[in-house]
Amino acid sequence: MMNELTRRYFFSRLSTGLGIPALASLLPGAEGDTAPHFAAKAKRVIYLFQSGGPSQLDLFDHKPGLVNLRASELPDSVRRGQRLTGMTATQTAFPIAPSMYKFAQHGKSGAWLSELLPNLGKVADDIAFVKSMHTEAINHDPAVTFFQTGFQIAGRPSIGAWLAYGLGSDNKDLPAFVVMVSQGTGSPNDQPLYDRLWGSGFLPTRYQGVKLRSIGDPVLHLQNPAGMNTDGRRRFIDDVNALNQIKLEEMGDPEISTRIAQYEMAYRMQASVPELTDLAKEPDRVFELYGPESRKPGTFAANCLLARRLAERGVRFIQLFHRGWDQHNTLPKAIPGQAHDIDRASYGLITDLKERGLLDDTLVVWGGEFGRTVYCQGKLTADDYGRDHHPRCFTMWMAGGGIKPGMYGETDDFSYNVASDPVHVHDLHATIMQCLGVDHTRLTYKYQGRHFRLTDVHGRVVKALLA
Amino acid sequence: MYLRRSALCLVAALPVLAAPVEFNRDIRPILSDRCYSCHGPDSVNRKANLRLDVEASARPKLAAALERVTSTSKATRMPPVYAGAGLTDPQVALIKQWIAEGAQWQKHWSFIPPVRLEPPAVKNTTWAKNEIDRFILARLEREGLQPGPAAERATLIRRLSLDLTGLAPSPAEVDAFVNDASPAAYEKVVDRLLNSPRYGERMATRWLDAARYADTNGYQTDAERFMWRWRDWVIDAFNRNMRFDQFTIEQLAGDLLPNPTLDQLIATGFNRNHRGNGEGGSIAEEFIVEYHADRVETTSTVWMGLTIGCSRCHDHKYDPFTQKEFYQLTAFFNNLNEKGKVFKYGNSPPMVPAPTTAQQSGLVKVEATAAAARAAFAATAAARAQGQTEWEKTIAAGTDWQPHRFLLEHFRLDGPGEALRAKTKDGETVFAPSAARYAQAPVFDGKRYLDADDIGNFGFQDKFTVAAWFKSESPDGIIVSRAEDREEQPGWGLHLKGGKLQLNLVQRWLDDCLRVETEKPIALNEWTHVAASYDATRVADGIKIYVNGEPAKLRVIVDDLNQTFTAKEPLRIGAGHGLRFRGAIGDVRLYGNALTPREAAELASRQPLDVIARIPAAQRTAAQASKVESAYLDQFAPAEIRASWTALRTAEHDLTKYLEGLPTVMIMREMPKQRETFLLKRGAYDQPGDRVFRAVPASLPPMDKDAPLDRLGFAQWLVSGRHPLTSRVMVNRFWQMMFGTGIVKTVEDFGSQGEWPVHPELLDWLATEFMRNGWDIKATLKTIVMSATYQQSSRATPDLLQRDPDNRLLARGARLRLPAEMVRDQALAMAGLLVEQLGGPSVKPYQPAGLWKELAGGTDYQRDHGASLYRRSLYTYWKRAVPPPGMMTFDSGGREICTVRESRTNTPLQALTLMNDETYLEAARKMGERMMLEGGSTPASRLDFGFRLVAARAPHERERGVLLTSLHRHLDRYKTDTAAAEKWLAQGESPINAAFDKSELAAYSTIASMLLNLDETVTKE
Repeated sequence: MMNELTRRYFFSRLSTGLGIPALASLLPGAEGDTAPHFAAKAKRVIYLFQSGGPSQLDLFDHKPGLVNLRASELPDSVRRGQRLTGMTATQTAFPIAPSMYKFAQHGKSGAWLSELLPNLGKVADDIAFVKSMHTEAINHDPAVTFFQTGFQIAGRPSIGAWLAYGLGSDNKDLPAFVVMVSQGTGSPNDQPLYDRLWGSGFLPTRYQGVKLRSIGDPVLHLQNPAGMNTDGRRRFIDDVNALNQIKLEEMGDPEISTRIAQYEMAYRMQASVPELTDLAKEPDRVFELYGPESRKPGTFAANCLLARRLAERGVRFIQLFHRGWDQHNTLPKAIPGQAHDIDRASYGLITDLKERGLLDDTLVVWGGEFGRTVYCQGKLTADDYGRDHHPRCFTMWMAGGGIKPGMYGETDDFSYNVASDPVHVHDLHATIMQCLGVDHTRLTYKYQGRHFRLTDVHGRVVKALLA
Repeated sequence: MYLRRSALCLVAALPVLAAPVEFNRDIRPILSDRCYSCHGPDSVNRKANLRLDVEASARPKLAAALERVTSTSKATRMPPVYAGAGLTDPQVALIKQWIAEGAQWQKHWSFIPPVRLEPPAVKNTTWAKNEIDRFILARLEREGLQPGPAAERATLIRRLSLDLTGLAPSPAEVDAFVNDASPAAYEKVVDRLLNSPRYGERMATRWLDAARYADTNGYQTDAERFMWRWRDWVIDAFNRNMRFDQFTIEQLAGDLLPNPTLDQLIATGFNRNHRGNGEGGSIAEEFIVEYHADRVETTSTVWMGLTIGCSRCHDHKYDPFTQKEFYQLTAFFNNLNEKGKVFKYGNSPPMVPAPTTAQQSGLVKVEATAAAARAAFAATAAARAQGQTEWEKTIAAGTDWQPHRFLLEHFRLDGPGEALRAKTKDGETVFAPSAARYAQAPVFDGKRYLDADDIGNFGFQDKFTVAAWFKSESPDGIIVSRAEDREEQPGWGLHLKGGKLQLNLVQRWLDDCLRVETEKPIALNEWTHVAASYDATRVADGIKIYVNGEPAKLRVIVDDLNQTFTAKEPLRIGAGHGLRFRGAIGDVRLYGNALTPREAAELASRQPLDVIARIPAAQRTAAQASKVESAYLDQFAPAEIRASWTALRTAEHDLTKYLEGLPTVMIMREMPKQRETFLLKRGAYDQPGDRVFRAVPASLPPMDKDAPLDRLGFAQWLVSGRHPLTSRVMVNRFWQMMFGTGIVKTVEDFGSQGEWPVHPELLDWLATEFMRNGWDIKATLKTIVMSATYQQSSRATPDLLQRDPDNRLLARGARLRLPAEMVRDQALAMAGLLVEQLGGPSVKPYQPAGLWKELAGGTDYQRDHGASLYRRSLYTYWKRAVPPPGMMTFDSGGREICTVRESRTNTPLQALTLMNDETYLEAARKMGERMMLEGGSTPASRLDFGFRLVAARAPHERERGVLLTSLHRHLDRYKTDTAAAEKWLAQGESPINAAFDKSELAAYSTIASMLLNLDETVTKE
């Protein structure tokens, strides 16, 4: 369909190495060594961000000893005067609220999982559970921003933008960084998200995450308006590009040939994105793997299935945001549904990737912006409790490309402090980048006179997590 | 893998000059980038006690340092391996040459005040039109390059119109200029454009980016704020050509000017545009520090091009700023009575009502009406006094009166046998419990209560008063509530706690509520009157509790209300919040206003009117006197007096309403007692170090000795004419606006990591010129656009592309994609849709549905209709969490933080937007109409007209050929498929001109859409 003139120009641009990914070379602050810096174990990431802060105490971090301490005051020796959020700082009591869920061990690693995650246990041996995560922020906005950009205050590039900038895309028809959002059943009006969480900060906007939406156009303005069919659009673009080609010959400005190429890519996206989001050809057994919700667009399960399809197509950084974990009050009412949202779907994703041989070079990351407190927020009753934000320790898990399954890190008996092998947010970033063959100290961008990087001046690769 | 070009500046890319090495140009950039982070200004992290930015410390160690940088041993090489690559051979060569030439240090160039040099002599004596050109030409001649030819007139007027007004010229404007043979033709256009109101909008847009202006607070819930009056101030200041020194002083310190005008107060909104965190549970102390830092960082970037923010946690790594100096600067900007946790919804103090000019005249009228009513009422004084005295003699026994303005609900609760009736002698109404209205009997035994149904559901933006008589047997209980009936749950309640009266307005009991109590307990088992009022100001100060008519002294328990406190459960008398009441309650009232002290006193006055009337006037209490007077004026006076009284109250109420309806703007306002400022160790809010005091950094010129040591003095210092940076930084950004890149490319960083200016002498000439002409922005811009440099053709030869791909030397005109707002604005203008209205509240044009909701839940974007769809983009509502996608796709900054560098990318999402966004499809439809209506009668003439709209020129033959073929093809398609034509035209809200054949209009609209997608259309040539 592509007319010869534009086809020639488009491909000649690519063949001279000035195609879309390589435009990184024309950036004002681009610098540093060419990534990847060493052999990559993973080619791409699927990051399942759990927005709101899942309770490690009710999902992963089994603390059987707490049952006997139920309703007793959290000892000062554990809290050590650490700051609390304004929501509970003025509480007069901090009664211990043990989890009301049963835990059991799974797989060879003997990973403890609560009964809220019956399916995840089946793939426990593919997963590295990091129980010793900790962060610096105590409220959602700064904490999510910290996880996404390595800094609590907005303005820096997100992790996906950094990797799109550093590694480019393996698919010429799709963006390198794709984002999907779902609303969990846990807490229907949960913490908001912000476009900047997948923004490019001071990197060019080309690297920002493209949100794949479940309502309307999957990518904004993807669809031709009524009255303009595919054939008409093809001819339209041919004509626009023919006119731009005349201009290019007159002005000699390489930006014009880039624009010609971008119209071609837009056209290809109009085909590739609907093909991507069309699940009609997925067999029933795949939907069964991810659970029945995967048939409903916009759910976490459906997004997981789409994530696999994006991974198959070589998208570099796929990030899902699942909202609903901010369970300050009536946690026992909220968390079962929320855990159900992710349990089967996460299991399905790992299994599906594995069956297709994709898990070896796809890194799956699961976790929120912080954990939740062992002490009860509000009133502790026989069948009810709430938990406040807790940055001091929480659990995340990783699986696939470059990761050694097993258990990592310990918390104290109260799941209040990290007892051994702490993993800071910067360390997690460094480790993710390591799996992708990127030295986190060497992927930099000069802005305001500074050589910025995702890990700021910190970060340590957690070697024990690497395969 | 991918190509990656080094970030070396152009100087390095061009042939190395034989000229002597210059420290600032050649050496400092190397040392700064590769050495200073360990051997620079940061004293704490300095290694080996070696400092390479100061001559005295470095000179003795130069030889040793050179040895280390050239070392081939990994162990001894500098910079160390972990710090990345070593110095390149050319860098080492430069350093060696510099040492050989005597190693002359220089103060960093941008800290030396600009010197106005004579423009250099040039060989080509005919090209230059003004001084700018001689600087540019001299450099071109040094490089062996020639300036380009002048741009064609049509191209030039389009470039100029876009640069000065942000809009393309109309075909008529193009023709007028192309056909104007007078020598001053170009200058006339320049002057016309500079005097257009569109100029102020164009200039303001970039200033809004720098000032991180937006319509929402930016954190978490990201609710609305109102700073558009500040935005309009900026537009107006540019249009009036306010001198930049005044522009600076008013924005940074307008509040500190003697008798500041409203406009000068509004101007200070500049430093309140930063984001504000109202997230529940956030720690106020943590975020107030962010606001102070943001003000210093933004102010430093905008006026000085300095990255002083880097010295927040440690001494600056590259520039001579200590950490202490950073906090000394914050001390200028932290002295306002603000909270770290801002209001989640709306503006946060300090703020002022900021009526527009029209509203100011409206206010004058409302005030005049109130004054007239006051005078008319005063004129009745004698008649009133006499009338009241007469009337008092005639009051029937038992007549009573209570304030009833704004009375919403009144439960007398004075059924037979109730003690209350005897106590107050309040008429004969019989209280009759009704199954429908009252669920339970009105006996307050600590269990039962009255359920008054779905009333009194006040929220944080409602004024109200709750009042009652009560007699409590217990020091704890609840009198009236509209709250969930569980402890510490949302809703409002009038509580008794330890004998003290509390008004609790609660969203969350501990941290999202207003909770106050009386200092003293009330007496138990005694009838007591309480009236508790809230004035909707969302602060504890807005609550009053009157006990027996007297304002009680209050203690604030929590003053932190951010969200509304409405509740789903009913109004309850004697219950709520899991509490009950023991004793008697009567005469419960809800008012939809905060009662005045006078009204509260009247309400608590027990005696009926006839009893008070019998007390000699001199012996009456104030409450008694006012109650009788109010009753007389309200009910018993002759009609004309009552009318006068009512007129006064109405006028005063109207005035209050008018004032409350005015827009507000957040401003800077000093606290009388200066806030203590401390250095924060590692920048952490909870790690205060030594106390610091206001001062400007030692490496910059000192403030004037006589200047006040406050923001005003600071602002005056910036524009004193002695500051080495202010004027350079500003003219550099003007240059960026015209040429796409600054003379210093790093417009945000004039420090040692910034780029060496490509034309340093020109930068200084412009900087001194800006000060010489009295900081005249229009004059400075005019100087730039009058230059031959500006007026060159932007055509690039292959040779020039090779030599100077980024066009830093300006041997050709700038060819750049338009900024986001211009892409949209000119499309609206070409379509004839643009509504040219200056200022006003932000508007919500087309945006795909669901974008807000899918990220934040709650209410989705509610798009406007009519004229608001077609305003210039700087008026588009800017929600920080979900910025307008059309703007972001075209590289707008997110308005989270100060952005001064312009950025341009070229992506497929831009293509999709231009092809499929309703905004551009509607514009194409209206443009298609214009082509048919105004473009003559032949297809060729209509196509030419459309092409001229977007490109300001007629199409070439080849272009016309492509368009004609395309037109016919689309025409054929739409003729055979009229349904497709109808659908294609159904874009946007504007009406379709029914005069045209739909198929034909659809075909022209398709061509118009094509024209809007052209590279040339979205590009300034």
